[in-house]
Amino acid sequence: MMAIRELKVCLLGDTGVGKSSIVCRFVQDHFDHNISPTIGASFMTKTVPCGNELHKFLIWDTAGQERFHSLAPMYYRGSAAAVIVYDITKQDSFHTLKKWVKELKEHGPENIVMAIAGNKCDLSDIREVPLKDAKEYAESIGAVVVETSAKNAINIEELFQGISRQIPPLDPHENGNNGAIKLGKQATQASRRCC
Amino acid sequence: MADNLPSEFDVIVIGTGLPESIIAAACSRSGQRVLHLDSRSYYGGNWASFSFSGLLSWLKEYQENSDIVNESPAWQEQIFENEDSIALSRKDKTIQHVEVFCYASQDLHEDVEEAGALQKNHASVTSANPTEGAHSAYLPSEHESCTVSCEMPTEKTPKSDLENSLEINDVEATREKEKHCDDKTCVKSVSEEETSENVLTAEDTSLQSKKNRITYSQIVKEGRRFNIDLVSKLLYSRGLLIDLLIKSNVSRYAEFKNITRILALRDGRVEQVPCSRADVFNSKQLTMVEKRMLMKFLTFCMEYEKHPDEYKAYEETTFSEYLKTQKLTPNLQYFVLHSIAMTSETASNTIDGLKATKNFLHCLGRYGNTPFLFPLYGQGELPQCFCRMCAVFGGIYCLRHSVQCLVVDKESRKCKAIIDQFGQRIISKHFLVEDSYFSENICSHVQYRQISRSVLITDRSVLKADSDQQISILTVPAEETGTFAVRVIELCSSTMTCMKGTYLVHLTCTSSKTAREDLEPIVQKLFTPYTETEIENEENEKPRLLWALYFNMRDSSDVSRNSYNDLPSNVYVCSGPDCGLGNDNAVKLAETLFQQVCPNEDFCPPPPNPEDVIIDGDSLQSEVSESSFIPEANSETPKESTSLGNPEGSSQ
Repeated sequence: MMAIRELKVCLLGDTGVGKSSIVCRFVQDHFDHNISPTIGASFMTKTVPCGNELHKFLIWDTAGQERFHSLAPMYYRGSAAAVIVYDITKQDSFHTLKKWVKELKEHGPENIVMAIAGNKCDLSDIREVPLKDAKEYAESIGAVVVETSAKNAINIEELFQGISRQIPPLDPHENGNNGAIKLGKQATQASRRCC
Repeated sequence: MADNLPSEFDVIVIGTGLPESIIAAACSRSGQRVLHLDSRSYYGGNWASFSFSGLLSWLKEYQENSDIVNESPAWQEQIFENEDSIALSRKDKTIQHVEVFCYASQDLHEDVEEAGALQKNHASVTSANPTEGAHSAYLPSEHESCTVSCEMPTEKTPKSDLENSLEINDVEATREKEKHCDDKTCVKSVSEEETSENVLTAEDTSLQSKKNRITYSQIVKEGRRFNIDLVSKLLYSRGLLIDLLIKSNVSRYAEFKNITRILALRDGRVEQVPCSRADVFNSKQLTMVEKRMLMKFLTFCMEYEKHPDEYKAYEETTFSEYLKTQKLTPNLQYFVLHSIAMTSETASNTIDGLKATKNFLHCLGRYGNTPFLFPLYGQGELPQCFCRMCAVFGGIYCLRHSVQCLVVDKESRKCKAIIDQFGQRIISKHFLVEDSYFSENICSHVQYRQISRSVLITDRSVLKADSDQQISILTVPAEETGTFAVRVIELCSSTMTCMKGTYLVHLTCTSSKTAREDLEPIVQKLFTPYTETEIENEENEKPRLLWALYFNMRDSSDVSRNSYNDLPSNVYVCSGPDCGLGNDNAVKLAETLFQQVCPNEDFCPPPPNPEDVIIDGDSLQSEVSESSFIPEANSETPKESTSLGNPEGSSQ
């Protein structure tokens, strides 16, 4: 039987670049033109095979906290990877990408895998960011880079496969969560028993 | 910032401390439109935790706080004839008597900077945005190290070379103090050049030997490993906060560690207090007779209400008097009084003591051998977890955003809007404001208590054990009347609050004097200042202090609403942290205020099951209803499953 590894992935990028759409496409293979600014989805999960392991992605959305630059540091805790999204039709969103990388360096865990997604590549006739720029930048920070279209389902699977490949193999000495306690699981049992 | 804030909400919450964050989450969860603001650049207010450099910035902020000039557009013109205004405070006055001491050697030849998460440091990553400086909450700066002086607070005089340098620093510090500090906040500062010269001469001559010792520059470099809480609390494993975290499913955002040891300080020695059944039987320090006595007494305490005859006669006496009448040796009486009931000789009566003992025992065993949990990355995570829940249900978050005034309708005497730092008027129905945001006009009659706090970085545990990853709580009883018991919580690096090879120690008590005056005697009992001398040769086994911080924090809990002047009925006051060990006060306050804002609404109910959610769009609907619900399904569904977290019930 294949081992399942839970991997937290956090999404970063400006409001409106398509963070939620990418997750929605990846997890549910669905695209909604009128997706409202992220409401209600705390995180989504999808499990994909990778070598001898199954990678269960827990994909955290910003819940809109990026809108006024108020992402909480807890958002980054324990992330194995970060997907940083920009909009290839908006130069501004590529500029701020660098700011998100800086924020990751400050608050994110060490050795976090970074993947840059240039979203909305179906709109390449109104492109403002050349792929070359993104590639150069990604290389300079050691990130995976790919242009995606959540709308047309282009490169979304590839983006997450790219992340999977970058995840270092499980260190047998580091037994997952270091003895940390997750409250929910035991608690449901406990409360059932006593009431 | 391209976006403007919407101009109308149901609830505006000002301050991101724990009670405010819980209320924001609860309101958002029950469908209110919530705007959650904080004038600071970080979450949590006085409940926040900081990396080492973040803490230094915080200290600096308090140092410079007094010079803030009001640059915001005038709001007075915006107040109409039929309106009054309540100006909010622009200055945080809740922190006083800040004192910092660095004992670790400061190797200032190197340009020390906090290391980033990602090792590659690229010059190309430059600011594209002029607001960026303000944007990062924990921006490290290489100049921060100069706010810390190398000074010995003790009277003891160390060896000659060292003494020389320290004396000079002392003088410098005093001179700087006169220049910079007002009487409230005083961070001793020495200019970098002077410190480095003086300290280094001392270092160069005598001490190059110890390579493995932790230096100040290592602490700065590894600064991200620290998550230093401004308040030091633990969660009772059956306390209100744990229940709320589980009920609301906010617990999924956090992980916890069990406190591993309860300690006591007796006759200058630190020892472990046996509290669980296993502990009692395994204890080497108790005699067989004592073990039986203790087990019998604790068993009685578990259901003391059933045996009123046993304590009825002592209801009017103190708990400590009552304990003397029980078959307990002085040793055991001490453990029960100070370490288990955590009360004092004089303060509590028999019933309170029994209740506290029962509560302690009741919490044992739920998650481990002691009744307490501590959140990984620090207590400061908890407000953020509730804020995330609020955001998930549509709450809007804005840090670094101050409010100039509340606008009050003259006729109805109700608050109708706020005017923010940009002069924008934002309408709302309810306003929850954290105490520190009120100006002196509002709080002139409020009597605040104070909390004395100390944060220490040390090089080893106060009690050596097989494992170096212990999390301990130690209560030191008050020594004289008029002072208070001191709570010591020692955190190891696996709590993700300090770097490997160090311990983070928090001391807390109700203030009777300044934090340093209240706490330094205990610090001296437990620790010894780090010096460069060969301490291994001595018998002294005490852990060494690398760095120490003292400050007083305002305790605005238990302040009656009536003590605030002229508050409109739809403005609610949230208090800052209290001095207690648990978080029950914050949860109770949040629930009470929530019930006033949203009467008859459920307080933070579990998130809706995806199957009950109606979302527009047919395809999504079917996907969602097939999916499994995360918390339970997590561990059991190896098949590829897609699950949606918790869609908002009322969306669209």
